[in-house]
Amino acid sequence: MIRTLLGLGARATVVMTGTAFATFALLWHAPGDPALAIAIARFDAQVPPEVIEQIRAEAGLDAGFWPAFHAWIGPLLTGDFGRSSVTGREIWPDLVTAASYTFPLALAGLAIGVAMSVPLAIIATRRPGGWLDRGAVALASLGAAIPTYWLGLLLILLFAVQLGWLPAMGARTPVHMVLPALTLGLGVAASLTRILRSGILEARSQAFLPAFHRRGVAPNDIERAHVAPHAAIPVVTVIGLELAFLLEGAVILEVIFARPGLGTLLVSAISTRDFPAVQAVVIVSAVVFVTVNLLIDLIYRAVDPRIGEQDA
Amino acid sequence: MRSVWAVAMLLAGLSLLGPLLAPFDPTAIDLANRLSGPGTGNLLGTDALGRDILSRLLHGARWSLGLAFVISVLGLIIGTLAGLLAAQGGKVVDWSVMRVTDTFLAFPELIAAVVIAGVLGAGTGSLIFALTVTGWMRYARVARGIGLSLQTRGYVVQARLAGVSAAHIAWWHYLPSLLPSLAVVWTGMFARAILGISALGFLGFGVQPPTPEWGTMLLDARIHMRSTPLQMIWPGLTVVFCVLAINLSGDALRDALAQEDQPT
Repeated sequence: MIRTLLGLGARATVVMTGTAFATFALLWHAPGDPALAIAIARFDAQVPPEVIEQIRAEAGLDAGFWPAFHAWIGPLLTGDFGRSSVTGREIWPDLVTAASYTFPLALAGLAIGVAMSVPLAIIATRRPGGWLDRGAVALASLGAAIPTYWLGLLLILLFAVQLGWLPAMGARTPVHMVLPALTLGLGVAASLTRILRSGILEARSQAFLPAFHRRGVAPNDIERAHVAPHAAIPVVTVIGLELAFLLEGAVILEVIFARPGLGTLLVSAISTRDFPAVQAVVIVSAVVFVTVNLLIDLIYRAVDPRIGEQDA
Repeated sequence: MRSVWAVAMLLAGLSLLGPLLAPFDPTAIDLANRLSGPGTGNLLGTDALGRDILSRLLHGARWSLGLAFVISVLGLIIGTLAGLLAAQGGKVVDWSVMRVTDTFLAFPELIAAVVIAGVLGAGTGSLIFALTVTGWMRYARVARGIGLSLQTRGYVVQARLAGVSAAHIAWWHYLPSLLPSLAVVWTGMFARAILGISALGFLGFGVQPPTPEWGTMLLDARIHMRSTPLQMIWPGLTVVFCVLAINLSGDALRDALAQEDQPT
């Protein structure tokens, strides 16, 4: 167990270091002069070359790649994300605010997705190959092909523009989260239904189930005690994969629904070429993503003891 | 398998012949006739600059489908090379290549693509780069997995003992066994590339106007959602249709290959 933990931890560390390095290298080699971009963002006018050079020195841009990387990664390890090159403010408080909008949205999307797909998969597998089953599979295939942002636009069109039931823009009240969360949830439900359906069908084909039947165990008890736990195993893995979808979806949907959050922060930081902020959002998302996947890996091992320690 | 070929022909035809079928110039501006609904002149109506939507969709196929094809094939080549390198290069190389693969997989691909395309500056070149860099890992995993399982096969051991070079073994013995599985992965990545291109286009980081591309068309249409909602429907439906067709033919391909594998 300890070996497994160490192995997983080492892997996560390598991955995080790689992500940090790749992000920094990308931004360092980005076209355009970052000092000039900062000058334009701050003063919004013609800036004399001396001021640009001063900004360059202040931001540590004149030191070369490795010193600059060192100057960034050192404070980062202590949780200091630095200051925005555009506003000059600390990035951390903005990050916390943004995350407090994005994570509830992602969680709500996941909850809606689970709430829709579990009953749908159970109903569909009552009679495999029946019309309910085929309908569920068709819906799931369709759902997987719809771009998240277009689904979001369609829901706005229906519920906000045509019917006028729900607000589409902003994040002032919890009601404002309904449409984006529903969009995310529908996307999650599409892939989760497929996985759950095949999980249930596979769990039902286990060789020992007919023996219980013949001994007269009630079908519902068999389902609850032997089918459900087996069908739940792939779900744990899939939720790890869904996390990528949830984060990606949240980023795009925030732009569409004009919600504050990590996505809006990222897109506006890219357009103003506020590279410290871009780096911060990337690092935070990577930390969340890697941590959740690590947890899921551990849960997975706890739920299914057949997964050995050899593949850590 | 017949349906797989039908979809392939349809999409190839759409991207190659689409521009020839277009009734109008996709960039011709006609402000007098802007935001018109579907009618006899413009079958699907016109956009905010009076450009014919059907013509833009047909010309856009070359960009959306063509770029997705290029991106998914580039990813296929890079990923297969990385996977074969990992499978044949020994423990240290294997470990390093797979950790690099993990690092790229460890981050939501679309967000990475948005950052890369956005930072490099909007344009077709950075779009291709961004989606290729974030789209080769699945091929690498599949190629490595099958490559490792082939390593102990009799004919591979024979070849190695006979002094055949690693590159030769990879090309003549590994690649033929890899191709069916890689083809299935490729259909999935092709569909993802279409979605990725349109998403980046929609965010303004993809193909730049006035070039017609389905994602950028949606971006243009979004502002006029209240007055002409139909304008937003067409490009989205086109994307859904293509992605659905590719996904379904990918499923069919996988089932056909699974059947071939079973001993009769």
